[in-house]
Amino acid sequence: MKKADFVSGLILGVFGLTMLIFVIPAQIETAPEGYISPRLVPNLTMILITGLSALLMLRSLRGIGYTPMDDSSVFFRSEMMALLKISGVFAVSVALFAWSMPLLAGIALIVGTLIALGERRPLVIVVMPTGLLLVVWLVFYRLLGTVIV
Amino acid sequence: MEYLLTGFQHVLTPVTLLWVTVGVTLGYILGALPGLGKATGVAVCIPLTFYLPPVAAIAMLIGIAKGSAAGSAVSAILLNTPGEPSSAPTALDGYPLARQGKAQKALKMGLFASVIGDFLSTLILIALAAPLAQYALLIGPVELCAILLFSLTFIGGLAGRSMLKGLIAAAFGVFFATIGIETETFIPRLTFGLLELDEGISLVPMAIGMLAVAEMVVQGGNARQLDQEAQAFADSSNPDDRRVTWGEWRRCLPVIGRGTLIGAVVGILPGLGASVGSFLSYGATQRASKTPEKFGSGMIEGVAAAESADNAVVPSSFVPLFALGIPGSVIAAILIAALVLHGLTPGPLMFREQPQMVADIYAAMLCASVILLIVGYAGQRLFAQVIRVPIRLIIPGVLFLCCIGAYMETNSIFSIYVMLAFALLGFFSRKLGFSFVTFLIGFVIGPNLELTFRQSLQLLNHDPMRLAGHPIAILFGVLTIVTVALIARSNARLAARQAADSDAVPTQQS
Amino acid sequence: MKQTNRRGFLSAAAALMMGLTGLTPAIAQADSYPTRPITMLVGYKAGGQTDLVGRATAKVLSDQLGVPVNVVNKPGGGGVLAAHELKKAKADGYTLLFHANSVINTEPLMLKRVDFVPDDFEYAGMITAYQTALATQKDAPYNTVAEFVAWAKDNPGFSYGALSPTSRMIMEEIAKANNLDVNIVPLKGGGDMLNALLGNQVALVLSGGIHYKYPDQLKSIAALTTFRHPSAPEVETINEAGYQLGMDSRTTLILPMGTPREMLEKLSTALKAAETDETFAKVVAAANIPIMYMDLDQAKAEMQRSYENNKAIMERAGIEPK
Repeated sequence: MKKADFVSGLILGVFGLTMLIFVIPAQIETAPEGYISPRLVPNLTMILITGLSALLMLRSLRGIGYTPMDDSSVFFRSEMMALLKISGVFAVSVALFAWSMPLLAGIALIVGTLIALGERRPLVIVVMPTGLLLVVWLVFYRLLGTVIV
Repeated sequence: MEYLLTGFQHVLTPVTLLWVTVGVTLGYILGALPGLGKATGVAVCIPLTFYLPPVAAIAMLIGIAKGSAAGSAVSAILLNTPGEPSSAPTALDGYPLARQGKAQKALKMGLFASVIGDFLSTLILIALAAPLAQYALLIGPVELCAILLFSLTFIGGLAGRSMLKGLIAAAFGVFFATIGIETETFIPRLTFGLLELDEGISLVPMAIGMLAVAEMVVQGGNARQLDQEAQAFADSSNPDDRRVTWGEWRRCLPVIGRGTLIGAVVGILPGLGASVGSFLSYGATQRASKTPEKFGSGMIEGVAAAESADNAVVPSSFVPLFALGIPGSVIAAILIAALVLHGLTPGPLMFREQPQMVADIYAAMLCASVILLIVGYAGQRLFAQVIRVPIRLIIPGVLFLCCIGAYMETNSIFSIYVMLAFALLGFFSRKLGFSFVTFLIGFVIGPNLELTFRQSLQLLNHDPMRLAGHPIAILFGVLTIVTVALIARSNARLAARQAADSDAVPTQQS
Repeated sequence: MKQTNRRGFLSAAAALMMGLTGLTPAIAQADSYPTRPITMLVGYKAGGQTDLVGRATAKVLSDQLGVPVNVVNKPGGGGVLAAHELKKAKADGYTLLFHANSVINTEPLMLKRVDFVPDDFEYAGMITAYQTALATQKDAPYNTVAEFVAWAKDNPGFSYGALSPTSRMIMEEIAKANNLDVNIVPLKGGGDMLNALLGNQVALVLSGGIHYKYPDQLKSIAALTTFRHPSAPEVETINEAGYQLGMDSRTTLILPMGTPREMLEKLSTALKAAETDETFAKVVAAANIPIMYMDLDQAKAEMQRSYENNKAIMERAGIEPK
């Protein structure tokens, strides 16, 4: 955790400075005379974040408030794999939604996640998307009469 | 009072009771399903309210509000995916309890705390709506700004072990809330030319992404381990693990009382909301406890504190609506629509011109509390079975529901992008120990914080000396500083104690 | 008789034109319109005042036309997002937008990125008007703009609540003309405005009409429209008070450019029924919204007039789109 804190403090600090120096001036125009500047609050939060992350880096360097067990790593291989797999499934699903039909996107999402998580029984892979989509269709389109897509 | 008795006669008819029950049940189920919630319930029900008689329509909407507030505890406890940010503190202790095989105990406590908080707060509304609302008007922008700042600091300092990271998360939340068209000048801020961002990032897809989708990814990574645990505890033979014992009742009743009070006060004030209420209550309970370090590892008091305040906010947020016609929450805003639709004008005139109607609504609210107890009691037994289902079968369903919930908010794919972006942010903040809930609370109250800050600047004419005329604001300003100091000190002490203990305690992953 | 003939001729001509140019068959079916559900976009979140009137209108249209009219909320940029969506939609009469016409006659004058002009859309009619006014507490020592100005001169640094740059501009114009010292406090939405007014935080606000629900606590000192308000006919308009700042906005049925006139006529006739519909009357009465029906030709003329009017006001005030 100590090392992770240092790195995240560094990243946040750089992010805060980038926002303050480049992004906010470029993306928020100044207001005419008599208005409170729209940049005021975004700038204040970014100054706060930059300051606090500097403090966070300092503390992690000096090791204040850390216990010995905090030395362990924060990212696990299996979790990163899950992140990648689910991101992949969403990418396919969103693409299908945009260029094909929403129904396919829904099927892709459910089936994709099932397979990505290691489900191999064909029955489950067929029954689950059918069931879920049917229920949603029944409840929203038939029962409540609202149109989702 | 006579009106209230007649009100009960009007409400205790099969038709009205049916719609209250439909509302509560629908709200409870939607709240219990991760990804769906109040927003979904309201969206599907507005068209329905057109065809119902006024009392039934309004009763149903109130039922949805109450049901979803209580139901969102279910997914928070069982799956660690709070339906709304306001149930996030419930998950802090509820989920560890469920993982210890005490899911039913946590669910029951959550339900009882919800119903008690809800019922008492409704009584407060009935007795004191008009005078309280007048007092709430005394809270001007300057006072509100100080109160918001205090709440944010208190919550930011408490969530998680590091106050620094909590405050960073809170500041980020406020920062993201500034995206969109600024209300005073209409200058777009950080929208990168995207029209979809003009009204700012929408809370619903953001909350779904951070709370539910990110959690599902983490659980997906630990699926095998989670399933093995579930096997081990599923058949707990101890009946005490399935109910709330007398000892726990005794410990929790004062907690529930405090939670109700906090929730009721927070609900009356404009712009704070249920998530602030439940977190303040959780924080206050943790501070008052003799064993604050045990919170987060399965303390039943944590569930009681969060849920009682969460539900107490709902009725009291109707106080400004009924007394002044000012909506105090999203549901209250929808309720205005329903009232207007049936020819009623919420506000001071309603009490004089339509006292019977007001009494009918009150009666319906009290009935909804009781029905919530019945529906919830029947429902939790059923929902508790979810814990036996292997996690790899749960994740696809949850992700699917998340997409529906996010999409329905704005009817556009952009919401899905927002959900995914914040899921990613939620994943990393989870792993790095930045409180994503503090972030969300910062985001929720950010617009009001900024607005009241700017209003204060104008009202005070940029002259700090004028603050002397706002004693309430000064009080909360001082409280903010004191809180920061106190939390910093006790965090350091806590860390020292844990460091000393860490030789004895086996390493735990958080 | 004459009219039917003319309409028959027109549709024949339209059909001929379409046959010649080979346009989509959907448009050629203007006669049987509508045959399937109509989608009505509303550019605000569900539950707001405009959404409410929109839903009541949808019900009337549905009863009149005999097909479902589904309301779809597309919030974003005060309706700008919904209007963009509509602009891209097919001009087949099955997608329409119910919105305040300010999205076309005011927003483009304030926002650089919005470039709508009245000729970008077709209009099937207008149904209600917003009663924007300068509002204050009932016990305030002024009842007209002139009395207010006199009071303000004695109370420099008074607070005025503004909901938008437009409302800010109105006060700045009055202040400029009379050399007033005003503190403009930003407000967000009707609820915030009522809070500030009822809690005596500000001396005056620009209200979208919601203050008429509080006859015991609040009053208007000037109508900011070009007509006097049905809810308070005794209150003068801002133009009558000597400031040429009156701007009207009305809920309008907006359709994509190129929608056949026959369809617009059908919608316009169906919309007229809202004038006498009981449920509709109840909804708008509870919200103090006056019904001011205009048919398609009047609506088009009104769009053009109000756009020119608002543009002139903004130019005089020196407002640049941002």
